[in-house]
This record gives sequence, C-alpha cells and structure tokens, in this order.
Amino acid sequence: MSSNRDLTMSSYVGIGIGLMAIVGVEVILTYLHLPARSLLFSLLCLASLEGFVAIMYLMHVKYERPILFWTIFPATLFVLVFLCYLFPDAYRMFNMRLLK
Amino acid sequence: MNHREMAVVAGNAVAGETLREENGIVMEASPYGIDKKKLGMWVFIVADACTFGAFLFAYGYMRIGTPVWGTPFGLSSIINGVVMTAVLLASSLTMLAAVRASQADKKDSAMKWLGVTMLLGAVFAGLHLREWFKLIGEGWRLFYNPTGGAAQFGATFFSVTGLHLSHVVTGVIALAFVARGYNQGRYDQSHVETAGLYWHFVDLVWMFVFPLMYLMNAH
Repeated sequence: MSSNRDLTMSSYVGIGIGLMAIVGVEVILTYLHLPARSLLFSLLCLASLEGFVAIMYLMHVKYERPILFWTIFPATLFVLVFLCYLFPDAYRMFNMRLLK
Repeated sequence: MNHREMAVVAGNAVAGETLREENGIVMEASPYGIDKKKLGMWVFIVADACTFGAFLFAYGYMRIGTPVWGTPFGLSSIINGVVMTAVLLASSLTMLAAVRASQADKKDSAMKWLGVTMLLGAVFAGLHLREWFKLIGEGWRLFYNPTGGAAQFGATFFSVTGLHLSHVVTGVIALAFVARGYNQGRYDQSHVETAGLYWHFVDLVWMFVFPLMYLMNAH
C-alpha cells in the first residue's frame, strides 16, 4: 500500500500551513496593485504551485507508481493549456469594438 | 490449494504482483497498482478538471474581450474568501486523518474525522452562500451588473463558484453515504480513501477559483 511510505500527520499539517502561507502571499500581491498581467501571472504561478503540492502530497500521487502520474497529468495539462488557443479571439473581440 | 490459487501464488512469486484473483477469476494485476475504485475516481477527476478548466478559460475569454469589468470584492469579501480557503484546507487535513484511521482499522476515529470533514464542508458552503447573498443584495445577478458595466462578471462568477459549490455539497452528501456504509461494515477503507481523493480534488480546484475569481476582482 502507498500508505506505508506516507508522511506523518504533523507533516501534513505543515503542508497545510505552507499552502495557507501561499494564499497569504496571493492576498498581499493583490493589494500591491500590480498591473493586471503581472498579478494574473503571479497568482497563476502560486496557484499552480499549490495545486502541485496538493496533487503530490494530499492526493498521494508521490507515493503511487510513476505510471499513474505519467498517464494522467501530461494529457490533462495538454488539454488545459491547449484551451488557450481561444484567447487571441478574445483580443480580436476587444479590438473590434468601436468604443474602447 | 486449487489450480487458481496456485496460479496466483506462482504469479506473485515469480513476477511480483502480476496476477490477482477477484470474484473467483484470475486476472492480470493493474499496472497502476491501485484499487479500481481509485482509478475510476482518477478518470473522473481528469474529466472534471477539464470541465473546470473550460469554465475558467471561458471566464478569461470574456474578461479579456470585455472593456469594463466589474470588481465588486472589498476587503471583507477577500477575508471571507481566505477563511473559506482555510476551512476547505482544514477539511482536507481531517479527510487525511479519516483515511489514515480507516487504514489502521480505527473505525471510531475514522467516523469522527469524517464527521468533522462533513461539518467543515457545510461551513464552507454556508460561507459561500453568505458571499453570494451579499452580492445579490448589492444588485449583482447572473445577467446584470448594478454598476452599469458589462454583465459578464455575474455570469462567470456565479457559474464558476456555483459549479464548485455543487461539488462541495455533493462531496458532503457522498461522504455521508460512505461514512454510513463504513460504519455499517458495507464499505471498507478503500471507499473512504476514494471519497477522500474526490474531496482533495474539490480543495485543489478552489486553489485556482479563489485567486482567479476573488483576488483578480478585488478593488
């Protein structure tokens, strides 16, 4: 069982505190009034870091066979990233407006 | 020992966990080395991640294509969102405690932690609804912006957070069913673990919903 190589409960509490600390950084960045692009990039990076930690430790992927990770995540990431092909059309919509 | 049992023992001895017996049938073991319920949950999670991804990308599309976007969240809403995040994260930890207790055959402890997880899920849903009612009280609707700007904020906010809220509520109900079955001995620790996987996914999605829907719309 994967649980044989599991972390202790206090380690998980430490991970939870770390994730909350990242949320705190996100809130601080929000109130620094960064440009929207910089804020979006920073928040997405931090959220991705949180997501990676959650998948690897809370969802135990780190303790499963590597084939589970390599079967599921590259394909899912490909689909999610490929959705970005829509964004140029959103800019087209914005620039086609008569009144900006 | 019959032929089937001998085949399983021989297979395990010679080639590791290559064979297993299930319902009287000798089968090749899963290459993933996990329970089929858990693998099924992973397939569901992949599909659900793509659904949430599509909703969030639709939000991004509308936000880029809309010149005047509503930013209705003040500090009190952001603090409420941080508390919601803390509650959901705490519920993930209590779910982990429930899974570990069930793996150690500590039924009472597992039931206690499952109960705490459900309670925290209900608290999260209550805080979520409080935020919704606050926005609705300010005049925000699915297709109406009370500040006079584009109406798309309400459409995307209520859709994305509503989808997430439905997952939390469904998760609480599912945990109640699993807890009842586990308490009655109909379900084992693998059911608790599979339900836990779903619950962590709900937490994972919130880690993207909170910054994108709340923090990006703070004023």
